Amino acid sequence: MSDIFEFNGAEGTGWSQPGPIIGDAQDTIPKSLVRAELPKWPRASEPELVRHYTWLSQRNFGIDTGFYPLGSCTMKHNPRVNERIVQLPGIDRIHPLQPEHQIQGLLSIFFEMQEMLEICSGMDQVTLQPVAGAQGEFTAIRCIQEYHRANGESHRDKVIVPDSAHGTNPASAAMCGYEIIEIPSGDDGRLDLEALSAAVGNDTAAMMITNPSTLGIFEPEIAMAAEIVHAAGGQMYYDGANFNAILGKTDPGRMGFDAVHYNLHKTFSQPHGGGGPGSGPIGVKSHLSEFLPAPLADREPIEGGGGATGDGYRYFWRTPSRTIGKVQQWHGNAGAVVRAWAFYRRYGRELELMSEHAVLNANYLRYRILNPDPESHDLQDIHAMPVDGAPAEVVKHEFTLSMAPLKEATGVTGKDVAKRLLDYGYMSPTLYFPMIVPECLMIEPTETESREVLDKFANVFLDILAEDPELVSTAPHTTDVRRVDEVQAARNLVLRHPCED
Amino acid sequence: MDQLPNLGREQEMLEVIGLKTMDDLFSDIPEEVRRNDPLPLRGPQSEEEIWADAQHLLGSNVNLDSRPSFLAAGLVRNFVPTMVPMIATRGEFLTSYTPYQPEVSQGMLQAMWEFQTMVSELVGLPVSNVSMYDASTAAAEAITCAVRVKGRKATQKGVVYVSQFVPPHRLSVIQNYAQGSGIELRVLKHDSDGRVDLEEATSASGSCAVYVEQPNAFGELDEGIVKLKQVIGENTALIVGVDAVSLGMVEAPGNYGADIVVGEGQPFGIGPTAGGPIYGLFACQKEYLRLMPGRIVGKTVDEDGRDAFTLTLSTREQHIRRHRATSNICSNETLIALMGAMHMALLGPEGLQKLALRVAATTEATKRVICRMPGVELVNPESHNFREFAVKLPGEAADAVAHMDRAGVLGGLPLGEWWDDMSDCLLIGCDERTSHSDIEALASSLKSWIAEVGE
Repeated sequence: MSDIFEFNGAEGTGWSQPGPIIGDAQDTIPKSLVRAELPKWPRASEPELVRHYTWLSQRNFGIDTGFYPLGSCTMKHNPRVNERIVQLPGIDRIHPLQPEHQIQGLLSIFFEMQEMLEICSGMDQVTLQPVAGAQGEFTAIRCIQEYHRANGESHRDKVIVPDSAHGTNPASAAMCGYEIIEIPSGDDGRLDLEALSAAVGNDTAAMMITNPSTLGIFEPEIAMAAEIVHAAGGQMYYDGANFNAILGKTDPGRMGFDAVHYNLHKTFSQPHGGGGPGSGPIGVKSHLSEFLPAPLADREPIEGGGGATGDGYRYFWRTPSRTIGKVQQWHGNAGAVVRAWAFYRRYGRELELMSEHAVLNANYLRYRILNPDPESHDLQDIHAMPVDGAPAEVVKHEFTLSMAPLKEATGVTGKDVAKRLLDYGYMSPTLYFPMIVPECLMIEPTETESREVLDKFANVFLDILAEDPELVSTAPHTTDVRRVDEVQAARNLVLRHPCED
Repeated sequence: MDQLPNLGREQEMLEVIGLKTMDDLFSDIPEEVRRNDPLPLRGPQSEEEIWADAQHLLGSNVNLDSRPSFLAAGLVRNFVPTMVPMIATRGEFLTSYTPYQPEVSQGMLQAMWEFQTMVSELVGLPVSNVSMYDASTAAAEAITCAVRVKGRKATQKGVVYVSQFVPPHRLSVIQNYAQGSGIELRVLKHDSDGRVDLEEATSASGSCAVYVEQPNAFGELDEGIVKLKQVIGENTALIVGVDAVSLGMVEAPGNYGADIVVGEGQPFGIGPTAGGPIYGLFACQKEYLRLMPGRIVGKTVDEDGRDAFTLTLSTREQHIRRHRATSNICSNETLIALMGAMHMALLGPEGLQKLALRVAATTEATKRVICRMPGVELVNPESHNFREFAVKLPGEAADAVAHMDRAGVLGGLPLGEWWDDMSDCLLIGCDERTSHSDIEALASSLKSWIAEVGE
């Protein structure tokens, strides 16, 4: 174990810096405000820290380490040129409040991304300001809220979400002050129009839904759902977590939505970085666009052409007339936008190909797991096969499996299978979500996995179903630590190092 | 397309599934909502072409390192140790997701636990989360958190006092986050000398929370803030927004009664990056722990009794608690917080102190030169400043900035962009890298503008 707080070199050593440019700077702080005792940070040299953090990195699993089929999170490969691009001083060394003429290149990338995302979603105006999917949801619901208020409809105080929705949907709407109405899915896991019709009314502000749903299946009656909500005076919000399934095939505009968010860290490969950063741009139809956060990137042609980027346009920031203001202090996660731009440029109009391969891989893996090859697996050895989370001919970019039959047959839970996968060098699928599927595993392979990886994973998965239940239920066995005592972590909170002298 | 390993092998895979064409995979999308024409976008590019376009477009931006720059206003032109981006972008960190499976995520979990410890030490409070989006959302969620904790005992129900001199963009974020909980934001007034009016502050006693910044939007350090907790009392939360680097010299708010400390983490770990990704600091007293936003890592043991780390107190969060969650935050800024932790660890206690001293030195040196100039005066003549100071000019500050720009100097932020009645005021920001020659360039370009205005 490498412990950073054990590094305790001599005072004043460590990373070198030049001295202060004048000698009496300590006198600029009023005496009553001078810090009495410095923080007990480690005293380490660069070689010690490089080794410490390298050691930590080796105890961490990423897409680069192995297959990461974490459903709903779209863990696709992160192209490395994107990381090289964001190290350029033209993005790393830029202040968001610099005058427009100094950041024409950045503004042109923002404009191109707004336009591209508008085209892909069928929306009229995109803002890149929200820095995460959940913040995109929050931002869009705030715009919808102000839209209703502007129309004298502030009595609309309810937001409808299906019971299969991501947790962020109800949390974001609640943060805006809305009451949440959760509607049950139908027996087939799909949206239940009757339940929706019963839930809408004069008090409906919006419905939030993702399509394909969290079960990975396309909602065939989505346009009808939009009609029901619109007829009641509500707005339709599209959670874009699952955009990877549909680019170029359909779009939320066609389905009848008024607002959407994108997750650039899912669909457009901003690396997830252990939980962030993300980027959650939103797009809206024209009736909502004047409420968007400020500012938006815009442009005008220059007479005679030219311009800083040479494309004949002058770029500038524009404030929508009835803007809700800001949701992040600056212009959003510009670095993530630039990475997503580089990712988009790789595909251009062939983004459709990306979704095709994401969906192909999901269907292929689903088939391989649910239809064991008799040559490699004796069906009699398998304790119990998983069942489809929802019946469907084809799924989109992900699918769900219920491990309930295995639990019934052997006591081995979905969680046990997930932990056993870690022993084989795979990340676990998303566990126990959506909650409407018992013992749920949610699997999303993404387009960047080869057929061989999928074949191997399917075989390992089936092998586990035939393994000694004792072995599986006590997994993992080969990881850096074994099952972690989460109950003790919560009961006996140790949230920092004691840093005793 | 070099990102698709199964390109050209679609047919063999379709055959396995029992489908004929790629179109069959989308047969479940009703015709009425299908897109049948190609996306009207540009053609695909190779890595080489993308890199060339990125160099061209981003190269057309004027970067802060290419000229004397005095624009700070909440983000800093820092120097990030080379080790930080090199090691933080190792694939195992870069391409991991939230550590839901602690058995294979000990590295990031431990790094975040160490981050929590260093932030906790920095601000003088026992609890830190693993980051918010930025300083503004950290401030906003600190306010909603404080209302949840203090709401019941407050005599001024749902009322929060916010310092008069919070930058308007940050205030706008606070307003968006607070309005849904029915929070009433009132202004905490400052005296004519820029300091918090402690007499006025007594009226905030009994409200849910008071939010102030140290230093304030003009870089001014306020001695009165250390007495604020006594003025507002136990039942009102004191939330302090800080310049994280200043804490190498300035007392940690936790040591003068702050309940929650927030701030911009960016000076540690990453360049200003056009405003993001950066990360917000959020630390609090234990009283707030169970109602705070964001992820937190705890130390525990595994089945074999070995030390192990895991996310804890998740029952506050949206994926468990849904609409009753303490926040909607899911994706956060962990990777940038990791960069911050590396930078903090490299600095160590004395390195932090030295960094703060360097910023204090450039602030003072710049202030002396600029305030000596005829026609220029400090907005608050008696103020002690860290990193920034505001001066009154003999004309519109936006004109001065445009003039200095033509001379190749980024002269600061015209305060009219924030407050209409301050259009003749300029906010000048310094950092550890400001040099004597930068200061000379600033002074001479400002001098030539003043001469022009005087004619």
